[in-house]
Amino acid sequence: MSTQDINVRQKPAVAATGGNTETLLATKALTKNFGGLTAVDSVDFSVTEGEIRCLIGPNGAGKSTLLELITGQLSPSEGDIYFDGEDLTGMETHNRIDTGLSVKFQSPHVYENLTVEENLQVPLQRTDRDTETVLAETLERIDLTEKADVRASELSHGEKQRLEIGMAVTLDPTLMLLDEPVAGMSVDETADVAELIRSLHDDGMTFLVVEHDMEFVRRISDQVTVLNQGEIFRQGPIEEIEADEAVRRIYLGENA
Amino acid sequence: MSESVDAEASVLDRLRGRLEGPNTYGNSLPFWAVFAVVIAGLALYPQLVGVYTVIQTSRYFALAFLALSLSFIWGYAGILSFGQVAFFGVAAYTFGIIGLNFSSATEIMAALVGAILVGTVAAAIVGYFMFYGGVRDTYVTIMTLVIALVLNTFMAQTAGSEWAVGVAQLGGFNGMDIPSLTLGIGQSGFVLERAALYYALLAALVVTYLGLRVLVNSSFGLTMVAIREDEARTRTFGYDVPFVKLVVFTIGGALAAVGGVFYGSWGNYIDPTVFGIAFAALPVVWVSVGGRESLVGALGATVLIERMRTELSSGIGPIGSEWALVIVGGLLLGVILFMPAGVVPTADDLIARLRDRRTERGQSTNTPEEAIE
Amino acid sequence: MIEVAATPLQLSAPSLGALLFQFLNSFGFIILATVGLAIIFGMMGVINLAHGEFILIGVYGTALTYHAGVPLPLAMVAGVVVTTIFGVIVERTVVRHLYDRLLDSMVATWGLALVISQLLLIVFGSSLDSISTPMGSVSYGPFSSSIYRSIFLPIVAVAVLGGLYVLFTRTEFGVKARATIKDPETARAMGVDTDRMYVSTFAIGSALAGLTGALYAPALGSITPNRGSTFLVEAFVAVVVGGPSVIIGTLSASAVLSVFNATGSFFFGTFIGQMLLLLVAIVALRLLPDGITGYVKDWQQRRRAEQ
Repeated sequence: MSTQDINVRQKPAVAATGGNTETLLATKALTKNFGGLTAVDSVDFSVTEGEIRCLIGPNGAGKSTLLELITGQLSPSEGDIYFDGEDLTGMETHNRIDTGLSVKFQSPHVYENLTVEENLQVPLQRTDRDTETVLAETLERIDLTEKADVRASELSHGEKQRLEIGMAVTLDPTLMLLDEPVAGMSVDETADVAELIRSLHDDGMTFLVVEHDMEFVRRISDQVTVLNQGEIFRQGPIEEIEADEAVRRIYLGENA
Repeated sequence: MSESVDAEASVLDRLRGRLEGPNTYGNSLPFWAVFAVVIAGLALYPQLVGVYTVIQTSRYFALAFLALSLSFIWGYAGILSFGQVAFFGVAAYTFGIIGLNFSSATEIMAALVGAILVGTVAAAIVGYFMFYGGVRDTYVTIMTLVIALVLNTFMAQTAGSEWAVGVAQLGGFNGMDIPSLTLGIGQSGFVLERAALYYALLAALVVTYLGLRVLVNSSFGLTMVAIREDEARTRTFGYDVPFVKLVVFTIGGALAAVGGVFYGSWGNYIDPTVFGIAFAALPVVWVSVGGRESLVGALGATVLIERMRTELSSGIGPIGSEWALVIVGGLLLGVILFMPAGVVPTADDLIARLRDRRTERGQSTNTPEEAIE
Repeated sequence: MIEVAATPLQLSAPSLGALLFQFLNSFGFIILATVGLAIIFGMMGVINLAHGEFILIGVYGTALTYHAGVPLPLAMVAGVVVTTIFGVIVERTVVRHLYDRLLDSMVATWGLALVISQLLLIVFGSSLDSISTPMGSVSYGPFSSSIYRSIFLPIVAVAVLGGLYVLFTRTEFGVKARATIKDPETARAMGVDTDRMYVSTFAIGSALAGLTGALYAPALGSITPNRGSTFLVEAFVAVVVGGPSVIIGTLSASAVLSVFNATGSFFFGTFIGQMLLLLVAIVALRLLPDGITGYVKDWQQRRRAEQ
């Protein structure tokens, strides 16, 4: 499959929210080919410190691929990734995490056979933060204090999702990457997660969130980037994006 | 209560805290009581039975290191090696080679260190190639077995007199002589054999077991378990997974090497069958039967299964010695099919369930706070 | 087999010929030792640790029938049939329960291996009379090579791979089998009886092991219950080096490995040949963790991407 140039790619307007804020994450001409398929096509993309940037787009737009390129599970065919002034491109995943990234994948990847508390300890013990304090605080935050000693396999889907966000948070990252954090969740569970993200954001954490659920995006987001066929299609404040006819056609139209 | 008793209690508590945790079975006072009784019983054992039994039991103890080695890497980090016998055998041969060339007590002690070092480094090299090469799961298992089998082929053809290191003849299928372990300085030393070897092995085994319990219940232990449960996810928390696996595999190699030195010096002999497929299967049998995630299970199963093999070697009733391997193989097959977790974890689960049934329903799943309310 | 002259080897025409025959001998052996294991591994992900013993059952089936007075070709058929039936029984009673526990399936089949070889010892004693190798040998200069081992068996080996290729690409069974491997859920939804696919694949793997046993029954010399492991090292190494694609993997791994094995064995003896196999395997794994076919797939993808 080859990509069609229906739309002219827009050069990213870096830091759409304001002039002086610092760019935390930037990709330069990032490209990933799978066989004949170009999943991510020369993407210049950036996340500014302190924002919640949502990445939306139809299925197969390359959102998850972009995330995996940033975490280093995939290596790019071409292009570079910069984070907090460092070039991540050739780095191993574990070294990238050490620069202040943290990630939560689409389907919950918790350690099913470990208890909630042990799950949180796995990432937490890598930091030099105070275990007791952070554990109590995180359990409170993800509302699982009462289930600290329960095996993760016994949690509900929503609880697992919250637990995994909690695990990612214990690393105290500068930038949190979330891949569809509310997929498969009930309305109430979704509201809880939105609340959680907002509160972490208030504490100064920057987010890059890949999301399908526009309702949820509206709840949390400052800034939206639309990805389509591996390319950046539009960027801007949520209201603008929602009002954009072309976006509706490629994205919202598909879901309607 | 006086302050000194308090202080003593807190030291004991702290020690227990280190030894206990979610990664080991037996985290209760009754367990430690039974443990103490068993150790006391084993300490008295040589006074109660003949020297033949003492010598045989020493052999089980030497082999138990091999079981601990496999339980540690497989049960905790999910690395299934069929070739732990390779490091075991390499250490035994190395000990023999150094020990035969230098014979003073100091030199034999150096041989002990050297042999363990060689076995450990061998494991580190194999581990480096596998884990940094991205070799996974089944491939690790096959590679380790192939390494053992090739060592078997290699050692089997060293019968010729050109295969000698100094005065040590490798001896091919005829095997090689190995000196006894000797403690001491200079020429005079205390030779570890019979009851002395038994006690040395018992002490080493207890220390190793407790040390491994501390290790698997530490943060490193949690890392191992995290890698076993989900390697990819653990990487995305910033763990250097290949490095952790290499460390685990190297420790496993060191444990096997310790067992190999004891085993070689126990029989004053080693031959290529230690690298053979039948011997390589034994650690897998012990650890599977006892429960791979249970160090104490691996120890118990090793002693009991090897005891059974010894008994069978002279035949029991109509069952001759040739049936020993059939029974061992059948045991392995049966455990994997009907009791995949192994005896100790299954028994532990059963006890926990019985206890739950006895206490009031519903209370078992609650957290302690709720239980108090 | 090749009898090497006592004089130092020179690269004369006869010695090059001997090297070629050694290569063919080794090539045929590795393919035949591997193919049954590779089918079961490639299709189901299961490593059958009792593979050597399956081959041994083929050897015993053939030898016992032959010694009972049946002509060798018919005795070989008997060897294949016995092994296939045994394989189906093992699949139904053991392997079936372990499809989602791959490491456990290795451990269980190892238990099985111990039981089989020991039972063969108990029932049939420490050895069976050997069967003389048919077809004689060809002499050239100071060397002689067995026609059966160095010419006939390599041809059979390649024919077996060719047959498998046809089976898996040109028949309905093959299409279903590959669909099952790719995605059992979808295959089931499309009406493929996946359970039957697994039995059939295991049966084919067992039949191939039996065939290997039958073919090598007259080429092993002494027939003893521990001969199963003779096949194991080569088979395991070839599966590891070849990677998950059965036919291409087995063929390419066998070719690469037999070059090293033959050269090593020819100049330095059998054990150096085997050490070389191991070294190649380790280096190959370090460079190509998914085997040759894994690498080829990757390379094809990259090339397609560039176009």
